[in-house]
Amino acid sequence: MITNLVTIAEQVGAPRIVPGRGIPYPSGDPNLSPQAEQAWRRRLVQRALDAVATAVEHPTIFEVDVVERADA
Amino acid sequence: MPALRRIVHEIHSLEISAATRYEQHHLVVGRSRVEALFADPALASVRVHIAAPGDPVRIIAPLDVVEPRSKGSGGGAFPGWMAPVNRQRGGDIHVLRGATVLAAGFLPRNQEGLIDMSGPAAQLSPFGRTNNIVIEFDRADGASWQEAEIALRRGLLRVAVHLADAAVDAAPDTIEELAPPHRPGTPTGGLPRVGVITNLQTQGAFKDVFVYGRSMAGSLPTLFDPAEIEEGAVISGQYGHPALRNPTYLHQNHPVIAELRARDGRDLHFAGVVLCPEPVEQGDKELVSTHAAWLCRAAGFDAAIVTKEGAGNADNDLMLKVDALEADGLTAVALYAEMSGADGTGPPLVAGPRRGAIVSTGNYDQRVTLPAVERALGGARLRIADAEATAAVEVPTAAILSALSPLGAGRLTCRSNEEQPVGQKSVAEQSVGQKSVDQQLVGQQSGGTA
Amino acid sequence: MRIVHYLNQFYAGLGGEETAGIGPRMLDGTVGPGRLLAQLLGDQHQIVATIVCGDNHAASNATASQELLDLARGAGAELVVAGPAFGSGRYGLACARLVAAADAAGLPALATMHPDNPGITDAGTAPVVAAGATAREMRPTLQRVAAAIAKLAAGATLTAGDGLVVKAARIGRLVEQRAAARAVELVLRRLAGDQQSTEVPVGGFDAVEPAAPVDKAASATVALVTEGAVVPAGNPDRLESARATRWLRYQIEGVDALASGEWESVAGGFATTAANADPNRLLPLDAARTLEREGAIGRLHGEFMVTVGNGTPVATARRFGVEWAAELRKAGVQAAILTAT
Repeated sequence: MITNLVTIAEQVGAPRIVPGRGIPYPSGDPNLSPQAEQAWRRRLVQRALDAVATAVEHPTIFEVDVVERADA
Repeated sequence: MPALRRIVHEIHSLEISAATRYEQHHLVVGRSRVEALFADPALASVRVHIAAPGDPVRIIAPLDVVEPRSKGSGGGAFPGWMAPVNRQRGGDIHVLRGATVLAAGFLPRNQEGLIDMSGPAAQLSPFGRTNNIVIEFDRADGASWQEAEIALRRGLLRVAVHLADAAVDAAPDTIEELAPPHRPGTPTGGLPRVGVITNLQTQGAFKDVFVYGRSMAGSLPTLFDPAEIEEGAVISGQYGHPALRNPTYLHQNHPVIAELRARDGRDLHFAGVVLCPEPVEQGDKELVSTHAAWLCRAAGFDAAIVTKEGAGNADNDLMLKVDALEADGLTAVALYAEMSGADGTGPPLVAGPRRGAIVSTGNYDQRVTLPAVERALGGARLRIADAEATAAVEVPTAAILSALSPLGAGRLTCRSNEEQPVGQKSVAEQSVGQKSVDQQLVGQQSGGTA
Repeated sequence: MRIVHYLNQFYAGLGGEETAGIGPRMLDGTVGPGRLLAQLLGDQHQIVATIVCGDNHAASNATASQELLDLARGAGAELVVAGPAFGSGRYGLACARLVAAADAAGLPALATMHPDNPGITDAGTAPVVAAGATAREMRPTLQRVAAAIAKLAAGATLTAGDGLVVKAARIGRLVEQRAAARAVELVLRRLAGDQQSTEVPVGGFDAVEPAAPVDKAASATVALVTEGAVVPAGNPDRLESARATRWLRYQIEGVDALASGEWESVAGGFATTAANADPNRLLPLDAARTLEREGAIGRLHGEFMVTVGNGTPVATARRFGVEWAAELRKAGVQAAILTAT
């Protein structure tokens, strides 16, 4: 789940949460240049793909900025 | 700075005629003057109507609602719109209590709601019980909706001052002195210092509230003089969820401030008002919430009542604030509307606080059956029900303007009934077959207090 | 009493996810949990047939419950028993819809599932007996069900004591004091030491059992779904802007990005300016397509599902979730990325 409202997502029990930057644009950021926004969106989706390939037991936040281990 | 005094003139009846004048409890609205006050390149025309309590009238798509107020010839009401921000503060403000001026009609980003002046919904909206001057409008060719909306807001405020001006020389019904909140450190004699945090929606065009004429978007929480709110420093330009809306009128008559004042010196010390934006980003919401809690502590609050505007997004702001206040050792109570489905068996909240306590302002989803009316203002069709505007319809409470008032204006709440099997008749079904929900609502009005 | 028992494909022994798409069918006598139930019922009541439907088929075909009901009637059912579905959403929804249809048609019916099963709200006026959360509680669940059947057969009404799922309805009503006055009252009570009083309970948290991870996204079929109300420009299918009663699906096969002017958001709960300038801000199709092309996603599912999460009751949203899961499973999708506003 990609959303800016992380606290609500946790509260409703969403297992895999990727924080976006704004409520009205979960998979974008209008404050960035078009190129930078494309890159940001790509990182968000990539992080979501990491998340669905990761076993979790309870609501887990997958921050985009976290550096991945090679095997994750 | 002199304290603010409300010079109250109670309005019991309205009439439209040639010239505006006020006679003992009766307000005559001068049609041509009111129309002229709406003159703006963005509006092709306006029409002035009256909707009084008990009238068989439905107001479709109500927009903002304003209480007529004026500070007399010196001006000063609605600072940032009708008066400079730096002006004489305090003194006397004339209030036409029981009257409103409101705009109604199609606006693309307005979530359509309604006000019924009779029947069960009249009891649920604060504006089903006021004498309303209703302005219908046509947008000018070539004007944007946003321009039309700004023109309507200016028009409403001009008319509000114009109407109250008519009563400036009349003998008032009552005069109400509004003492300022107690400063931090004032001996309280053991009484708790209680204040209010009011979140204002800040989501851009058609979803914004103005403080001194500007959006609070991007601001941090600020301690505010309640007298300024009385004078109209907070103006709504917010057209989301009708039942969860705080029109200007309800800021002018802020219910929580009024109730805190009512018990000031007896059960508590009124500690003040904090205004906050409702940001659109989680990080900003957290910053605003943490800062609001800090500000309340710095201002010596022992407890705060927290109010919002809007639905799920705004619930998140409430939740974060209550949790931040309680974590800082303050006592917090938030006003929430419930969203438990038409039969009331679903979870009541999407996002609630971990601590603190909640006052319920009713169930968003509960159906209300509205009888047919004779006349409709604001539109010929009720789009949400896909029906003629005057038809008998069943609508969710969500559609009735300010019926679930997040500022606490309404008398709705929810109570758990006896546990009933999932399988047995739902409330919605009961409303058809047996006693209707609205009868139940009305029938329970003296059903006790919380 | 002649009982017809409903099971999903798994409990009927017909297979797991791979057979979740099978349509309604009937098997003779007792199957799977039906055997234990028959044993617990003793000689007085007989399970005469077992009706079965795949979870995905049942959750995504509106006519499935009617077809199952016809099968039950054909077998001479005097009572339909559905489940136990435990916590399984699709199975719970199927059980709930079947007993609702039977009950509406005048045929007594009883479903059994966990009280938090998202399908439970579809049971309509039919009784639901509480099951445990998982199949580990099969025996105690079926003991309750057997006792409930005996009671129904005797003409008695079930109560909470029989395991009947009861939920308090929160009913709106007008009270003497306005909410602002009650808030002041409540704050004073709390300051005086009462930490319990509240008009709505606080601190409740939902729990969702996480799905197992996919092996590799690079070989998985991934779907995009959203509650951000992204629809073709002009909203041809009239998705609501608030209080959704339904969800929609749109084809994106061969579409590389959601172009501004061709797609828009009709959500009423937030400012849509940013989303309408670039709808990929609500549904990240462009990025997902690129990642698919580069091999990071095995395949992007050919349609997305959409509703509006603005003032939509939680119970409705849960049902949409179950239906989406069924649709996606049926289409062979292994993972979904939900963008939420």
